[in-house]
Amino acid sequence: MAIAAALFAASCGGSSSSSGSSASSESIRGQTITVLVPYVMPQKLLNQFTAETGVNVNYVRTGWDATHNKLIVANTAKTYIADVAEFDWSFTGQFAGAGWVEPLDNLLPAKTLADLKSTDAAFVSGGKTYAACYSNDFRLSMYNKQMFAKAGITSFPATFDELATDIQKLQASGVKYPLQIPMAATEGGITPWYLLTLAMGGQLFDQNLKPVFQTPDSAGYKALQWEADAVKNGWVSPGSVALNDDVALNDFLAGQSAILFATGPGNLPTANDPSQSSIVGKAALGLVPGVDGPGASFGLPEGLSIPVTAKHKAAAAAFINWWEQPKNAIAIYKTQGSLPCGTSTIKQMVATGQLQGGDVLNQELTHVGPLFQAGAPIWYSQFSADAQGLANAAVKGQMSVQDALTQLADKASARTQ
Amino acid sequence: MPGRWNREGDRSARETQILGWILVVPAMAAVGALILYPLVKGFQQSIQSGGILFGELPGYVGTRNYRDVLNDPTSRDAMRHTLEYVLLAVSLELVLGIFVAVTLHRVFRGRGFVLAVLILPWALPSVVSGVLWRRVFDPDNGLLNSVLLHLHIINQPQVWLASGRGAIIYITLVHVWGVLPLISLIFLAGLQSVPDEVYSASAVDGAGPWRQFRYITLPLLRPSMAIALTVGTLLAISIFDEIYVLNGTALNTRSILIQVYNTTFVEADFAHGTALAFVLAAVTAVLGGFYALALRRSTV
Repeated sequence: MAIAAALFAASCGGSSSSSGSSASSESIRGQTITVLVPYVMPQKLLNQFTAETGVNVNYVRTGWDATHNKLIVANTAKTYIADVAEFDWSFTGQFAGAGWVEPLDNLLPAKTLADLKSTDAAFVSGGKTYAACYSNDFRLSMYNKQMFAKAGITSFPATFDELATDIQKLQASGVKYPLQIPMAATEGGITPWYLLTLAMGGQLFDQNLKPVFQTPDSAGYKALQWEADAVKNGWVSPGSVALNDDVALNDFLAGQSAILFATGPGNLPTANDPSQSSIVGKAALGLVPGVDGPGASFGLPEGLSIPVTAKHKAAAAAFINWWEQPKNAIAIYKTQGSLPCGTSTIKQMVATGQLQGGDVLNQELTHVGPLFQAGAPIWYSQFSADAQGLANAAVKGQMSVQDALTQLADKASARTQ
Repeated sequence: MPGRWNREGDRSARETQILGWILVVPAMAAVGALILYPLVKGFQQSIQSGGILFGELPGYVGTRNYRDVLNDPTSRDAMRHTLEYVLLAVSLELVLGIFVAVTLHRVFRGRGFVLAVLILPWALPSVVSGVLWRRVFDPDNGLLNSVLLHLHIINQPQVWLASGRGAIIYITLVHVWGVLPLISLIFLAGLQSVPDEVYSASAVDGAGPWRQFRYITLPLLRPSMAIALTVGTLLAISIFDEIYVLNGTALNTRSILIQVYNTTFVEADFAHGTALAFVLAAVTAVLGGFYALALRRSTV
């Protein structure tokens, strides 16, 4: 219960087991909706939705970056792309500001929205909720218990100094590249820098959205230097500079490294799924290390939205409502790895022992905050694209950390003016 | 009677004219809808502000977006990279293309098989060839590192696509690998149009293979060279797939098209993205015109 309380302190609680939806009427029966989400979904579950509502689902899965770009293009052109679409925490400022998505306040049952209230805060702009959270994502670490035991390490490192010592022990025990950090010029490759900046006790921007990561004494600078050093010291494989987060996860699941830095809580069930992992039973979650103890982390919830160009909005709302029901959200968590967002769902998972790594999740949540205090700014996409290229150039040694961050700060300052 | 003939002649001419229009109008409509309209809309977008997403009021900004992209260091690096891709790719394609064509021009056993194999890389979509080559260049599990480590030529895995100039060379090689068959076939077709008598006569006059190549083959291949130069340049200037698959949007290998993609679709900055695309289109048009002129001169 402590987990549910920590996850959704602001939530109204209560069960939302009702499958009823304001939209689940005969009017939507026979319609076909397109769902665009960057994660897999078992056809069996989709068939259940169709059986319950009569709505057929054309489920389209592409990578996160590709999904983002497709949505940008379609929304800018004001053309139809999907009835239900991915909505990342980082979309809020841009998508809501441009009026690309429907507010869900009147499309979803009040009970469902109340159940999601805490995590949906990331999707609120101007008092309206633009997405229903389906992935209660935040960053933490995952490690291979067997490799740790072989190296004589009994617990996951709490500080960066301990992490450095443990990495050396792991290398001495035969793990060539103990650490797995994606550093490609992609969204998944820039996330570790954000996380390290927070974990080292800093922020990317001050309250006035002025960049504070470019001076050598800043946490952002130290974080990027730490990544560059991890490459130089051989803590990560040379290919990490071109590694995206999904490939990094796959490599970790294949037993190629001992620590997966900056992963999501839902990846533990994936690591314990024999069909997707060769380290079943060996993976465990660890807190993000910090300077003097566990460091800060940040939330990256992902939600389901209804674009204004959607053809079947009522059917889309019915699908979102169906996904958010505890039974379905838990089934999706087990197969897809998205940690559910609804209070009632988390409570049910805790009560039935279905929440894997619950203790660590509970502890990590006390360190989780938002990356941007006032929500993702409207220019986040531009900042992120700049950061991806420049940070990648720094870890590759093509430019100094100082040059990369100075350039990034200059660009960010120009955007915020 | 003459009046009647004239009237029938006029009617026939008019019918021919109408038929001509009927045949031409669909093509004109298609060109207008698919090329001219997007071109005009794109140009309009390139001289507009970014709008509310960029904290601006929507409106006309003149050449500001063009000045921005021409002054942006990332765009300028992308232009420099593209120039390097073009120079390197076209040079390699011309030299290797002529070499392959001259080799294949001779009749030898298995020539048909070699020709079929030669065409294979060209038949592969560039994304597929990019994926294949990623297996070669992969720093952790790639074939190249594996072979070189095994032969003790290197003592630790190399990140081939992390360096600046080196990465551009490797990506260019992948591009050339895909385009070389086409260039070779263009030269081979040119060679096959050279009459054998010319070589026989020069041999009687005492010309050796090198002099024949220098004074017969190369001059007579000039039209093919102009075509190969045009095709090679246009393909290299629009290089995208190989870079994107092998190294994503990393700064060290970013071409103009990758920069256009990143600006437009990742940053959602359509105004600057289209401005940069028009800069690329203008350069391509100038080069295309130059080559067309060269082709005309070489064939007249």
